Amino acid sequence: MRFRHRRTAAAGALAAVAVLGLSACSVVLGEEESLLDATSLTIGVKADQPGLGLEDGDGDIEGFDVDVALYIAERLGAPKEVEFVGVTSAEREEKLISGEVNMVVATYSITPVRKTQVTFGGPYYVAKQDVLVRAEDTDIQGVRDLEGLSVCQGQGSNSAVRITEGLGIDVQQMDAPSYSACIDSLREGNVDAVSTDNLILAGFLAEDPSAFRLVNHPFTDEKYGVGLPHGDVRACEAVNKAISEMYQDGTARELLDTWFGETGLQVVTSVPQFEGCG
Amino acid sequence: MTPGRDGAGTGRSAVTTGRRRTQVRRWFGTTPAKLWLLTSACVVAVVGLFGSAAFALDQARDGLHVLGRDAGPQAMATTQLYLSLADMDAHMADVLLMGTDHDLGSGREDALEQYDTSRAKANEALLQAASLTEGDTVEERNVQSVLDGMGAYERLATQARLLNDEAKAPPGRVDAGALEEYRRATRLMHTELLPKAFNLGLDSSAIVRADHEERQSAVGFGLVGVGVTGLVTVAALLALQMYLRVRFRRRLNAPLLGATAGTVLLTAGVVLALVGSGGHQRDAKEEGLDAAMALSRAGAIATDMQADESRYLIDPDMADNYQQVYLERAQQVLFRPADDLEAYYEAVGEVASSYPVLPGSDGSDPEDPGTFGYLGQDAQEALLPGQEDALAEVLESYGALQNEDRALRAAVEDGDLAGAIDIRMGVADSEDGVFQVYEDALAELIEQHEGAFREGIERGDAVLSPWTWLLPGGVILLSALVVSGVRPRLAEYR
Repeated sequence: MRFRHRRTAAAGALAAVAVLGLSACSVVLGEEESLLDATSLTIGVKADQPGLGLEDGDGDIEGFDVDVALYIAERLGAPKEVEFVGVTSAEREEKLISGEVNMVVATYSITPVRKTQVTFGGPYYVAKQDVLVRAEDTDIQGVRDLEGLSVCQGQGSNSAVRITEGLGIDVQQMDAPSYSACIDSLREGNVDAVSTDNLILAGFLAEDPSAFRLVNHPFTDEKYGVGLPHGDVRACEAVNKAISEMYQDGTARELLDTWFGETGLQVVTSVPQFEGCG
Repeated sequence: MTPGRDGAGTGRSAVTTGRRRTQVRRWFGTTPAKLWLLTSACVVAVVGLFGSAAFALDQARDGLHVLGRDAGPQAMATTQLYLSLADMDAHMADVLLMGTDHDLGSGREDALEQYDTSRAKANEALLQAASLTEGDTVEERNVQSVLDGMGAYERLATQARLLNDEAKAPPGRVDAGALEEYRRATRLMHTELLPKAFNLGLDSSAIVRADHEERQSAVGFGLVGVGVTGLVTVAALLALQMYLRVRFRRRLNAPLLGATAGTVLLTAGVVLALVGSGGHQRDAKEEGLDAAMALSRAGAIATDMQADESRYLIDPDMADNYQQVYLERAQQVLFRPADDLEAYYEAVGEVASSYPVLPGSDGSDPEDPGTFGYLGQDAQEALLPGQEDALAEVLESYGALQNEDRALRAAVEDGDLAGAIDIRMGVADSEDGVFQVYEDALAELIEQHEGAFREGIERGDAVLSPWTWLLPGGVILLSALVVSGVRPRLAEYR
């Protein structure tokens, strides 16, 4: 009887340790949660940025960013359902943190401050700040030629500050609610130039190539990254690998040509320097 | 052989088999049989314990070996690739800037020697990278294209130097043709070579991380296996002990008791060794290798950054761009919010003077995000005990580098090109230039992390190494104890 009792006790102890062992096991083995394991993927892209992410009439979003995101999603392994949702610049962090989107490919510049909240794969392209002028204003060949002229910047942007303070050039800063409003002002002759990332300018230019001209004299780097949930190192490394492949197999060159080929934009078709996932 | 006899034979053999079965069943019911069974169970459990422990210890040893001797040092070497390439381009820009005055700074001969040394180091790092990324087509292609690009870069750079020499260009007035060639060279370097080299370094970190995690989880499985087989062995030994006690009315069987205690000790010992070596391995990776590699990147990017000063001086058309990329690279090394260089110089000065408190790190000012970059918060968090002074020196020398930059650009603003060139070549002086001081301070910090890496690996090894003889020895001892505990009892039945 005592023997039997002991045996149950031993079995109980064994079971207890097995359970402990299992939980220890999941602690030891548990890989960090990653969007690589998810079965569906919701990607945030711009919906109002011609050439990069623009909603067409049927509710689909198309552009360079969308195609890049699709390529990356395909390379992330298992077949996944991919859904695109439009995000504005201001809501990118918030939607990524809340989990509403798992990935953001939306002219999202990598900055040290954002890196505290978001893990960035890429950059998939290094855009550069440049200047767009009216086609007939052929005198403007570089940013220094803007001295004394008016330059429009979209709300929340500090592209004009980079010209005035960063380079010490005296320009008249004009603010508009958005860059499309800036483009309208430029067309109507209310401002002399619009300055922001060359990919964004090229997107506008592609819509109306005869009206404007890209100066093609870039002066800062804007590293467009793939925003991922903070700490998802595995996904970040997989995204970097996908971007390397995108440049190696010629897809990047094709996409740049498709979306910006007619704008005269000087594009870089070699893989950018990644930011690192750590 | 008639069918009848055959049939009768079958009948008889069936009877025999039946009788044997009964005999076997009866034998299993006997005390010696039960003793044999329980003893065998104990021995099998001990062998199982040996197997699982040997497996887990092997995994742990492999993990240490790969991190400590293969992937780790290779990843570190790959990180050097970027530094060597950036250094080549820096010295080439300096040589062009010096023009006919061969004695500026530490001199033209010295710059060319350093160029050659860096090229040799780059080749060496490429070999390491090729070996680490073997089998990974994406990265193999990157290695190949860096290799090809280096050839093309060298042709352009040599051409630029020859044209500038032929034109007998004075300091700071690079020959137009030479400048054209150098622009192509440095563009190739910055769009093709450096990004790929940097990505290779990142990828080797990724390989080390994935490998480390995979092995840690294999060791984790092994750990559970050792725990479970250890418990099974104890249970089997206790069962045997209890059986002897009930059947033979003996109080305690001392050898079996010893075997039970021995099993507990052996299991606990192996578990502790695995956990201990895992901890040392993690320390080696995180406090040693990862921190050393991050700081190496701070050195590599700063090398490219200070070379932007020479490019800024030799190429007035692109000066705005070079000034801007100087700021961008500087902010990668040490980030403080600043829209222009003037604000950045101020901010960097504050970092050096307020250290060990990093400005903005307490979050009291919502407008101030903090101090980031390779030398910012990350370096602060990765500090080993007693390293504050080493980081303080790095920050101070980085501040001095920015002060020189400020003076250089002020000289250019004043139209004093000769003064600017003097400042630049002073910064780049390989004996006592401020950049060398910064590099030395950084190397000291990196060396300490590398020391932590080696120490972690050694400690991990030291924890595991006694088990190469402790485990087989222990298992033999356990088996011997079981046999010696049971043999006298079995002898009673002979």
